[in-house]
Amino acid sequence: MSDSTEPILEIKNLTKTYFNEGKSITVLDNISFQVPKEFLAIVGPSGCGKSTMLRIIDGLDTPTSGEVLFHGQPVTAPISKIGVIFQSFALIPWKTVLGNVEMALAMTSISKDEQLKVAKKYIQDVGLEGFETSYPKELSGGMKQRVGIARALALQPEVLLMDEPFSSLDALTAETLRREVLDIWTDQAYPTNAVIMVTHNVQEAVYMADRVLVLSGRPAKIVDDVAISLPRPRSQRDPTLYDYTDRIVSKIS
Amino acid sequence: MTLAYFLALAFALAYGITTAMNHKASHVLLPLLDVLQSVPVLGFLPVVFIFFVTNLPVQVGQEFASIILIFTAMVWAPTFGVIAGVNAIPQDIKEASRAYGVKGLSYLRQIVLPAVFPELVWSSLLAWGGGWYLIPIEEVFSFPGHPLPPLPGLGYYIAAAASNRDLPLSLLALAVLVLIILAIDELVWKPLGARAEKYKYESVAAPQGPGQRRGRISTNVKKYEERLVSPIFSFLKYERASLSSLLEAVHLKRRFHVPEKIRVQERTVRHALWGRIISFAIALTLILVSIPALRGIPPDSLGNALQVIETNVGYGTIAFDAAGSLLRIFTAYVIALGWTLGAGILISRSERASKLLVPVFDIGQSIPATALFPIIILLIVNPFKENTVALNLASILLLLAGMQWYLLFNVVGAIRGLPTDLLEASSAYGIRGRRFVKEILVPASYPAILIGSIQAWGGGWNATIVSEYITDPNNLSMPHTVPGLGSLLQMASNYSDPYASAVVITAAVLVMTGTVLTINRLVWRRLLRKAEKYKLEA
Repeated sequence: MSDSTEPILEIKNLTKTYFNEGKSITVLDNISFQVPKEFLAIVGPSGCGKSTMLRIIDGLDTPTSGEVLFHGQPVTAPISKIGVIFQSFALIPWKTVLGNVEMALAMTSISKDEQLKVAKKYIQDVGLEGFETSYPKELSGGMKQRVGIARALALQPEVLLMDEPFSSLDALTAETLRREVLDIWTDQAYPTNAVIMVTHNVQEAVYMADRVLVLSGRPAKIVDDVAISLPRPRSQRDPTLYDYTDRIVSKIS
Repeated sequence: MTLAYFLALAFALAYGITTAMNHKASHVLLPLLDVLQSVPVLGFLPVVFIFFVTNLPVQVGQEFASIILIFTAMVWAPTFGVIAGVNAIPQDIKEASRAYGVKGLSYLRQIVLPAVFPELVWSSLLAWGGGWYLIPIEEVFSFPGHPLPPLPGLGYYIAAAASNRDLPLSLLALAVLVLIILAIDELVWKPLGARAEKYKYESVAAPQGPGQRRGRISTNVKKYEERLVSPIFSFLKYERASLSSLLEAVHLKRRFHVPEKIRVQERTVRHALWGRIISFAIALTLILVSIPALRGIPPDSLGNALQVIETNVGYGTIAFDAAGSLLRIFTAYVIALGWTLGAGILISRSERASKLLVPVFDIGQSIPATALFPIIILLIVNPFKENTVALNLASILLLLAGMQWYLLFNVVGAIRGLPTDLLEASSAYGIRGRRFVKEILVPASYPAILIGSIQAWGGGWNATIVSEYITDPNNLSMPHTVPGLGSLLQMASNYSDPYASAVVITAAVLVMTGTVLTINRLVWRRLLRKAEKYKLEA
C-alpha cells in the first residue's frame, strides 16, 4: 500500500451554489482538504452542506466549481473504488439481501459466479448469514444498515463514504454498529484505506475518527481541523474525548 | 351545470353533516347513501329524460333532466368528502371546543365548516370533472322514438360541427371548451385549494414540493385515483381496498400477532363490500319487481324475464357483446400501457422531456373524453363509410381517451415519487441505462401501474356505454354502433316496452358486473398479491 501521508483524495476549491428562481444560495464555499490513509469525520450544523459535499466526492452531484481528485484523477461519476453508506440505508425493497449486495458488484469486472461468492462472504462478515433471501422490510433498522455496509464493502473500496450512517438507528444498535465498523476499519484484511464520515453527532465523530473537520453554517467553510490523537481501541468514557468534544462544539455554536 | 353543482353542494353539506354528527342518523343514512350511489347514472339517462320530457314542456323538461343527471353525477364525492371531513376533526379539538363552550351553530361555523372545507374543495374538483364528462353526452341526447332538440351548449356545437364535416369549427369549439375548463381550474380551484391548506389538521408541516409542476402531477394522480364517473364501478374501489387490507392482515398474521385494530378494520372493509353487493342486489330486484307491478304484469318472474331477454336479444348476442367489449377494452389497455410507460420513462430520464410533456398531458387530461367523440367519428368513421374496422378503431380510441390518464398519472406519479436515496444508491453503485429501467423504474412503479390498470379498466367499462353507441345530432335514426355491452345497454333503453328495457338493461349490467368481478378475481387479485413486494416503505 501507499505511504500513509500521501493523499488518496484531494478536494480542491469546492464550491456549490444552487440557483432557484433568480436567487442563488451558496452551500459550500471554496472548500479544500486532503484525505490520506485515515478515518476522517466531517461535522457541522444541520443543513450546512455536509451531505452535499459527500455526494460530490462520490460523483453523485457536480460542484459549481472546484474538483475532487482520486489518486490524481478527477471524479465525475461514481466509481467502484469508492463505496457509500446512506443514512436511510437506501436498499431496494424488491431485492433480497443478496440481491442488494450483488447489485453493486456489477460495477466491477468480476464474473457472475464470483459476484455471488463475494456477496455471500460480505453478508457473512456483517453477521447476516441466513438472511440472504430475506427482503429489507423483514429486517430491523440495524440489520438493514448491515446490508448497506456489506454492499459498500463488497466492492472492496479504497475509500468508504458514510453519510450519517448511525443516525437512523436506536442508540444501542448504533453503538454496536459503530464498534463493528471500527473493527472492520482496523482489520488489515479489508483494503479500505480512507473513511469519510459525515455526522452531526460530535461525540460519535471524536470517538471514531483520526481527524475531525469542523464546518460552519451556510455557506459551509472549514473552521477547524482537529487531529484526535488517541490510541485505539478507545473507550467512550475516556475524559480526553470530552475535551475534544467541548472544543468542537464551541466552534460550531 | 353550475346550478347542479350548488344543488349538489347544499345536499352534500346537509346530508354529510347530519350523517357524520348524528350517530343514530348515520345508521340509516350511510347505507342509504351507499344504495343511492350504486345506481348507474349513465344507464338511467334515457329513463330520466323520458320522464321529464313527457311530464313537462319539452325545453324545460330537458334542462331539468340535464340538471338532475349532472346533480346525481356530482353529488356523491362532496357528500362523502363532508363525512370524511367531519370525522377527521381531531378528538382534542372537539374536547377543547366543548371545554370552551363552543356549540350549536357557532360550533358548526367555527369548527365543522372549516374542517370540511379542504375535502369539499377537493371533491368539488372531482365533481366538476364528472360533470364535464356528462355534458357533451346530455346536450345531444336523443332517441329514435322521441326526437329532442339538442340543448345549446359547447358539447352540442362540437357534435354539430363534426356532423357537418366542419373539422376546423369542431376543433375550435373543443379548444374553447378546454380553455373554459383550464380557466376554471386556474381561477376557481387553485385559489380555493391554496386556501384549503390553511384548514388542514396536520401535526407535521407538509414538506414544500420543489415547485408547482410536481404539485400538478400529484393533484392529477389523486384526481385519477378518486374519479369514478359511474358509481357502479366504485365496486372496484371497495374491492381494492378490501383486498389490500386483507393482504396486509394475512401477511402480518403469519409473522406477528395481529393487533385487534387491524382485524376490526379488515372486518369493516369486508362489510362495506358485502353491503355494496347486497344494496346492488336490492336495487336490481326493485327494478325487476316494481316496473312490471306498475304496468300490471304479475311480477312472477324470472322465467318471464328470461323469456324477454331471449326474444329481444338472445343469450348468444349478450355473450358476443361481452366478448366484443372485453376485446376492445383490452386493446385500448395495451395501447395505453405501452405509451404511458414510455412517456413515464422519458419524463423520468430527461428534465427537458418532462418540461415539454407534462403541460401537454395536463391539457390533454382536462379534455372530457366525451367531447372528443364527435371529432373521432368525423375523422375515422365518416371517411370509411361505416366500415366495421373503422368503427371498431373509433370505439377503441374513445375507450383509450377514457382509460389512458389513469395509467399515465399513476405511472408518472410513481416514477416522480421514487425516493432520492434509492436513485442515489442506484447511481452510486452503477445501475444505469436499461438496467436502471428494468431493475429500478419498472419494479418501483409496479404497484402504481397495477392501481392505474384497475382504474383504467373501470374507466374503460364505464366508457363502453358511451363509446359503442354514438348518436349523430343531424341523423338521429342512424347512430354509430359496434356490438358490445355498452351499445346493448343503450339500445335496450330505446325499446318501446319499458319492461323489456329494464330486463335487458339489468341483464347487461349483471353480465358486465360479473365480467368485472371475474377479471378482478382472476387477474388483479393475483397481481396485487405480487405487488406487495414492490411497495416502498414509508
